[in-house]
Amino acid sequence: MTAVLRIEDLEVRFRDGDESRLLIDRVSLELQRGEILGLVGESGSGKSLLCRAVMGLLPSRKLAITRGRVELDGETISGLPEAAMLGIRGRRIGMIFQNPTSHLDPVMRIGDQIAEGLRRHRGLGRAAAQAEAVDLLRQVGFTDPPRQARMYAHEFSGGMRQRAMIAIALACDPEILIADEPTTALDVTIQAQILRLLADLRRTRGLSIILITHDLGVVAQVCDRIAVMRNGSVVEQGEKRALLAHPQHPYAQALIASHPSLPQEDAVGEPLRPHEAPLVEIDDLEVSFPAGGGLFGRKRSTKALAGVSLRVGRGETVGIVGESGSGKSTLARALLGLQPVTAGHIAFDGAVLTLERARTLARLRREAAMVFQDPFNALNSRMTIGETLAEVLRVQGKVPAERIPTRIGELLDMVGLERDFAARRPRSMSGGQCQRAGIARALAVDPTLIVADECVAALDVTIQAQIVALFRRLVQDHGLTLIFIAHDLAIVRRLCERVVVMQHGRIVEDGASAEIFARPAHPYTAALIAAIPSIDPDRPLGGGEAGAISETGLQQEGLTT
Amino acid sequence: MQIGRRPMLGFGLALLAGALLVALAAPLIAPFDPIFQDGTMRLQPPSLAHLFGTDNFGRDVLSRVIWGARIDLQIAVLGVVFPFLIGTAIGTLAGFFGGWVDAVLMRIIDVILAFPFLVLMLSIIAILGPGLKSFFIAMALVGWVSYARLIRAQILVLKTQDFAVAAESLGFSRMRIMFRHLLPNALAGSLVFVMSDAVLVLLGGAAISYIGLGVQPPVAEWGVMVAEGQAFVTTAWWITVFPGLAIVLLAFGFSLVGDALGDLLGVRE
Repeated sequence: MTAVLRIEDLEVRFRDGDESRLLIDRVSLELQRGEILGLVGESGSGKSLLCRAVMGLLPSRKLAITRGRVELDGETISGLPEAAMLGIRGRRIGMIFQNPTSHLDPVMRIGDQIAEGLRRHRGLGRAAAQAEAVDLLRQVGFTDPPRQARMYAHEFSGGMRQRAMIAIALACDPEILIADEPTTALDVTIQAQILRLLADLRRTRGLSIILITHDLGVVAQVCDRIAVMRNGSVVEQGEKRALLAHPQHPYAQALIASHPSLPQEDAVGEPLRPHEAPLVEIDDLEVSFPAGGGLFGRKRSTKALAGVSLRVGRGETVGIVGESGSGKSTLARALLGLQPVTAGHIAFDGAVLTLERARTLARLRREAAMVFQDPFNALNSRMTIGETLAEVLRVQGKVPAERIPTRIGELLDMVGLERDFAARRPRSMSGGQCQRAGIARALAVDPTLIVADECVAALDVTIQAQIVALFRRLVQDHGLTLIFIAHDLAIVRRLCERVVVMQHGRIVEDGASAEIFARPAHPYTAALIAAIPSIDPDRPLGGGEAGAISETGLQQEGLTT
Repeated sequence: MQIGRRPMLGFGLALLAGALLVALAAPLIAPFDPIFQDGTMRLQPPSLAHLFGTDNFGRDVLSRVIWGARIDLQIAVLGVVFPFLIGTAIGTLAGFFGGWVDAVLMRIIDVILAFPFLVLMLSIIAILGPGLKSFFIAMALVGWVSYARLIRAQILVLKTQDFAVAAESLGFSRMRIMFRHLLPNALAGSLVFVMSDAVLVLLGGAAISYIGLGVQPPVAEWGVMVAEGQAFVTTAWWITVFPGLAIVLLAFGFSLVGDALGDLLGVRE
């Protein structure tokens, strides 16, 4: 095997006046022809920046390569003038990104966007380029390429947009594809399809791929070699199986140990308690959103929830899982009275929200609290953590005013933050610290019920593991009832004794975690579980033989096309 | 704040502080009475006795520029404060409550915006009678619309964000959510706008005075001075250039501070 891309001793610095910071610290990597290299690390580890440096696309003038070089096929490409890089970018190294929506032109047909690259880089005529574009769409798994080539980005689902991005990157027949978190924004079943597509492309085209991801499960499934990055340097690299089985560097060990797909000895699996007095009762709940319909037209609406019934007992931890658009967040908001209900009933500890709204809301506000997905957005950025907590304590009035400062200290202790965080603002804190502060704010209510909506989705894996551990401790120590909404089944399995699976606004399965993960009864649940990328390379992605999942997956996506 | 690391902010603040100092100390530092006419000293070019020269009535231009700072700062500040307060209150209400409150307020804004800004200003001043007081009232009646629209748009975005939903789920009252959580976050954009608006108001005030509806002669105001010197621009350039320069410097100070505020408050993030 020959190295198609070689990064030697690369160093990138940020310089602004006298200030100089090392962002990429003497990284050396090689990418062999036809190889998939997984670049793993948490946010801020420099993995995306490294790839941008390779492409000559450093995001600011204050960043510069200060040492080392990049070789493509034996030729040095670092430091080439912009004009020469134009011939390399796209033509020889293609790139795809995490969020296909913002990288596709919304007013240009998908086929034209692919053809544009073909005409510019390969000099094809209009008709030939169009024909080639249709063929590329077929290769990346579009079902009806001639028709779909004439459609716009907004008419496709997230998975199909990512396929379109890949088609655009492939248009110039590059030798190398850099995929920057290509599946992070996608649902698990769609993620499995995209990963399979990348593996297929490597096989059929001999493409070399650098796959940037934070999920070790993803690299375990599709990569040949893994490089683990932290704080701008590669701390360990090696063949996938060897590295996963015997990680040397302590950080790589921690990263592997915190992967949620690993079986947990202490996984929660105790039998369900009987719901003698359910805390939350939901009957036949229906929520619709208005969807268009003008002043004179008939009002139309889409159903986010259709006939959902759920009982949650005191002290239970219930995980609600499902892909985006399945209605799980709507359910959470409706149950806390934050979302108008179209039909059905919601009762909290005997008080029926839909009948006695004011009284039930008053109780919900004092006994239930919510933890949100985006830890930064969920906190008021103009207030310190101490002010945020103090405000909740004052409004709730459960703690006498003179005890408030002490209580703030206790709350910070409970979520594992140093007490001096009371004086800090969200912007000076990391995502994990903000999420802890968000949990402290929920605990300030002294709630019986906490609803956590995707509250670890935006966090790095090692931080996710910490937050999950924190929730477990809180549930055990304080007898909280927890409704934990997530699209990540592996995390739910770690935390919740009961799982509720939602699809298209309905509950399709509901039962004990251990039972559902071992013997899923509904095919959708089975598909979800099979699509979790396992960290064990010998447990392939579900539906590898294009079985039931990818069929249903494609059909679901077909709905939007 | 690290002004030292933001030279532009430092420069802008220095300009504004300089204007304020000149305005406050006008009686002390002005070498002559700004409205005293000396018939023997008409249209004198800049000299040691009259650093900025004299105008066609023999008044000292330097003294008039110094005294003018009082009036012009007042125009820039008061002409912005009232629209800002009114617009912020109305925009917050419209954005937060939505529904018919929003619909009614927005239609009122549409009506005001349907007329050209200056035409509306002129008709209000014409009704109230010329003078600085009328100018401020007209500004308050017309100028609030931009602030209202700005704040409303911010509130509309902010109220769907998680921290606002969180505030609701924690049992906070509407007043608390509106004023303690949404408004402080919405203000950043309009604070920056205040600075650039101050520039426009300053020029607007000069324009209104120029056509004789604002500050009345012989009071020294930069806009009036530019207008009066206009006829002599080819023969006695100093009459218009120095007050014009003063307007430019003050405007420059406001916009530098506005820019730096935008960076500091993260408006462009």
